[in-house]
Amino acid sequence: MTSRERVLRALEHRQPDRVPVDFGATAVTGMHVSIVAALRDHFGLEKRPVKVHEPLQMLGLLDEDLKTVLGIDVDGMLPRSTIFGFADEGWKPWRLHTGLEVLIPRDFNTTIDANGDTLIYPQGDMTVPPSGRMPKGGHFFDAIIRQQPLDEDNLNPEDNLEEFGPVSDDDLRFFAAEARAARAAGRAVVAGFGGTAFGDIALVPGLNLKRPKGIRDVAEWYMSTSSRRDYIKTVFDIQCVYALENLAKVHAVVGDAIDVLFVCGTDFGTQTSAFCSVSSFNDLYFPYYKRVNDWVHQHTTWKTFKHSCGSVIRFVDPFIDAGFDILNPVQCSAAGMEPRNLKQKYGDRVTFWGAGVDTQRVLPFGTPAEVRHQVLERCEIFSKDGGFVFNAIHNVQAETPLENVLAMFDAVHEFNGQRSLACA
Amino acid sequence: MPELQGLYDAVVNGDQKAAVRLTKEGLDAGVEPMELLSSYMIPAMDEVGRRFECEDYFVPELLLAARAMKGAMELIRPLLTASGAQPAGRVAIGTVKGDLHDIGKNLVASMLEGGGFDVLDLGADVAPEKFVDAVENKKVDLICLSALLTVTMPSMRTTIEALERAGVRDKVKVIVGGAPVTEQFAKDIRADGYGENANSAVALARKLVMAARAA
Repeated sequence: MTSRERVLRALEHRQPDRVPVDFGATAVTGMHVSIVAALRDHFGLEKRPVKVHEPLQMLGLLDEDLKTVLGIDVDGMLPRSTIFGFADEGWKPWRLHTGLEVLIPRDFNTTIDANGDTLIYPQGDMTVPPSGRMPKGGHFFDAIIRQQPLDEDNLNPEDNLEEFGPVSDDDLRFFAAEARAARAAGRAVVAGFGGTAFGDIALVPGLNLKRPKGIRDVAEWYMSTSSRRDYIKTVFDIQCVYALENLAKVHAVVGDAIDVLFVCGTDFGTQTSAFCSVSSFNDLYFPYYKRVNDWVHQHTTWKTFKHSCGSVIRFVDPFIDAGFDILNPVQCSAAGMEPRNLKQKYGDRVTFWGAGVDTQRVLPFGTPAEVRHQVLERCEIFSKDGGFVFNAIHNVQAETPLENVLAMFDAVHEFNGQRSLACA
Repeated sequence: MPELQGLYDAVVNGDQKAAVRLTKEGLDAGVEPMELLSSYMIPAMDEVGRRFECEDYFVPELLLAARAMKGAMELIRPLLTASGAQPAGRVAIGTVKGDLHDIGKNLVASMLEGGGFDVLDLGADVAPEKFVDAVENKKVDLICLSALLTVTMPSMRTTIEALERAGVRDKVKVIVGGAPVTEQFAKDIRADGYGENANSAVALARKLVMAARAA
């Protein structure tokens, strides 16, 4: 069974020959660049700096040689433009504070402020204020909020739509070429084309915009979902029109060269509760998700991917009703997200993409034995009758002990009856 | 005399403009600042906390109520200070060194303020020595440490160690919170408590400060 067949079978809720594995296909299923570099070193792969292909979280690109060693079954296509508005191209060297040399895109332009923090600029334009900050000694960037004063009586939803619009011909050519290349590698392909995330809080500050207007402060946005709901709905309405028009154009050039569409990463769960009620979800988000998912299912062979951290047990039914095929990252440590219950109640209706190991406690702070135990247990619970793609619960963070990362992969291989990584 | 029940409703409903207007009207009509705070605003925030616990309210509603409370408090705080009124306690709060995430911290700060505490907000990415300074020079009763990231959780330990090294650990209570933080982690780093959410942090703060004052 090829990697792609394995993933497709899992997505069809049929038992594949072994548990398929994703690392690096999306911006929420990857590994920090330092972890990718450590893995390359560990396996004695060709010495070369790792590319940072997602600059906000400083995720490292897994090259073909590492994917082969780790037994990765999925390839990813990120949008052409990064979250900071510059393209993943024209690579140049850069050093992390740890001294590790990595490669960054040409327009990944930074300065150091008086505090020693690293500042990064939208579209690489250093003549405008920076949009991201990496604290001194930190491992990734956070948004710099550039909220302009709001005139309550003259709010204009167009101000929150600057980043949305018709897909360009250049983007379409890029997607077509990337999809063909990804398809040729023989793995399943997950693609994110941008524009289908409704209210993703990572995108709200407009890190790619030189002078963002509208509601860009994170807390202000959250409050607006309650107090200015009509404004947000207008933003989503127009965004959704663009999204559907763009999906049609993208599908015309990509066709079935991709298997999964990454739709949206808006988080609805917190550690113990939720960001909104189910009725608010149904009023504000559900209609747009339904339109996107319905279009995809009516016109393509693609499955649709929904990411939401935290306790989302109350949203799983609405997610499924909205047409999502895949749920990620399945944060089992959050309230109500008990693995056996999730599999039993929803296992035949949604694919769990994640759930493999807890990245808040077990993977960074546990022992290799604890990692192995949890990975084996999760594979046992989630893999029956398909509907499961193994991934850690969100990106593997910097400073995660390498022996734990190796223990995670070893345990998946052990469950799958594959050769131990020690023999790689 | 203005309809002061409206102040309670304004805070519960997260209507900042109304909360500020009614507070101003109340003060102009000669109502004591402490009366506005203890009879209307604090009960309103208690109700907000109750609705949050019951999941009638979520983060957006909590933020709106906290903002309304904050707007009203800006009018009342200078008057309370001038009158020598004692707060429920003095708190220094911040997101620990290396961590820039402040929404959770801001919520807890607003809820503490709503609970009658005098809150010194040290911001995000706060060095341990700033917390030490708050104990030594601002005489805070309580320190609240927030972290969202697994990689910055160790800064909570370093902050507590800095308080110990400075010889001020026994002068202050320390509580911790944030998505990856647990009760067990709080015990491991010798914190005095763990707040699972903004509402429980306020209840914990009250309990710890009252116990310390009674001791």
